Amino acid sequence: MSSSANEAASRASAVSSMGQTIPTDAEVGHPEGVRWGMVVDLDRCTGCQACVVACQAENNIALNEEQRVLERRAKTWIRIERYWEGEFPNAKARFIPVLCQHCGNAPCETVCPVWATYHNNEGLNVQVYNRCIGTRFCANGCPYSVRYFNFWNPEWPEPMNNQLNPDVTVRTKGIIEKCTFCIQRINRVQVTAKTEGREIRSGEVQPACAQSCPTSALVFCDLNDPESAPAQLAEAEAGRSYTLLEHFGTDPGIIYLKKVDPHAEILEDDHAPAEAHA
Amino acid sequence: MQYLTALLPRVTLKQALILGGATAPPLVGGAGVLAILLYLMAAGGTATPAPEQPIAFDHSVHAGDAAIPCEFCHRGVGTQAAATVPSVEQCMFCHSVVKTDSPQIQLLQAHWDTNTPVNWARVHRVPDHVRFVHAPHIQAGVACETCHGDVASMEEVKQVRSLAMGDCQGCHRENSASLDCATCHK
Repeated sequence: MSSSANEAASRASAVSSMGQTIPTDAEVGHPEGVRWGMVVDLDRCTGCQACVVACQAENNIALNEEQRVLERRAKTWIRIERYWEGEFPNAKARFIPVLCQHCGNAPCETVCPVWATYHNNEGLNVQVYNRCIGTRFCANGCPYSVRYFNFWNPEWPEPMNNQLNPDVTVRTKGIIEKCTFCIQRINRVQVTAKTEGREIRSGEVQPACAQSCPTSALVFCDLNDPESAPAQLAEAEAGRSYTLLEHFGTDPGIIYLKKVDPHAEILEDDHAPAEAHA
Repeated sequence: MQYLTALLPRVTLKQALILGGATAPPLVGGAGVLAILLYLMAAGGTATPAPEQPIAFDHSVHAGDAAIPCEFCHRGVGTQAAATVPSVEQCMFCHSVVKTDSPQIQLLQAHWDTNTPVNWARVHRVPDHVRFVHAPHIQAGVACETCHGDVASMEEVKQVRSLAMGDCQGCHRENSASLDCATCHK
C-alpha cells in the first residue's frame, strides 16, 4: 500500500456528527485481523461489464431503464468508467471499475446521523438498510460517488421478481445503498468455516464481480493475509499500484494496478476538465 | 387477529400509552379506533397465539412422550440457515405403519397419495432484513428451547419469545457473541 494510505490510517480518529469518537482501522487493531479488500488490475480490464451485470443480479439492484440513466439516477454498485485517450484513429480506451472503496477512514461514516453506515472489524464499510433514514449526507460526502439513493421502490417485470437473491434485502424507496463486497457471501463462507471448525481459506470468498471477471482483473482478498496471493501481487507490483484519490487520505481498501504509459501525453493544464462519467 | 398484530409495529404497553397520549387529542373522533389499534400493538409485543395448522400435529406426543430429538425431523438445523420442516415423505417413514387409523394421519396419507406438500403455517418468522442462520447457534450449544420454548410440552407450537432485535442482542451480549450489525442484518 502507498505511504499516504498508511499515514491516513494512523491519523487521529474521526469524530461523528453525534460527537462520538470513531476509531480508524489502525486504532482498532486490524493489522492482525481480517481486512477485506480488492486488487484491481487495470491493465487486465477490458471494460466488458460482466462485473456490472453480475453485481446487478447478485444484489437485487433494480433495472436501470433509459430514463433513469438520463436522470443520472441509475444504480450500479460497480461501474466501469471509460476514458478516451488521443484522437481517432489513434484513440485508446481506458477503463476503471469503480465500486465502494471500503475506506479505512471513510468520509461517509462520520456524517451519518443514525449510524446506518459504520466500519466493522473486518474492514468493511457496512450499510444497515433498516436503520437508514435517507439524509443522503453519506452520498454527498463520498468522493467516489458510489453511494446510490433509492428515489423509487424497485420494480421487476413479472418473471424477474422470482429471481431475486433471498440473501440480500430489497431496498425500498428513501434509503441509500452501495457495494457491500457481497457481504452475504462472506457471511456464508464464515458460517460454513465455523460449522466445519476451520479457518477461512485464502480465496474462498469471492464477490460476484470478481467471480465473473473473465480476465481476473478484479481479485478479492484479505489485505492483511500474507498468504493471500493478491496481497503478494500488490507487494510485488508496488511500482504500479495506487489507490483512488489517495490524497484525500481515505485509506481505500481497493488497490489499483496500472502500468504508466511511457507514451502518454502529459497534460499541461492539471485542472483541465476530465471527460469522466459523473 | 394474529395477522393484524403481525402487521403492526410491536410496542410495549408503556410505549402504547405514550403514543396514545401524543396522538389522541387531535383525533378525538377516532380515539376508540386508536385505542384498539394500540392495544393490538401492545399485544403483538408479547407471545403470539399459535397459528392454525392444516394437520393437528402434536409436538408434545413426538418430542415429549416419544422423546424424538428435534433434529431428527428438523434436519437442516445443525448445518444450514433454515431448520427445515420435514417433507411428507419423512413423516411417512413412520406413519406408513404407525397409527394409520387416526383421521389426522389419514389427512397426511392423502397428501402422500396425491403427491402434494402439507401447507404448514409458519410460526417463527424474522423480518426480511434479518439473516438468521440456525447452524452457528446449534454449534455454540444453544438449546432449541432457549428460543422456541418448551416445545416438548406444547400441543400447538406458538412463539414464546419476541425475537425482536433487543431480544437477540441481549443473548448475544451475555454470551459474548458478535454484536456487529452485519452479523444479522443483510
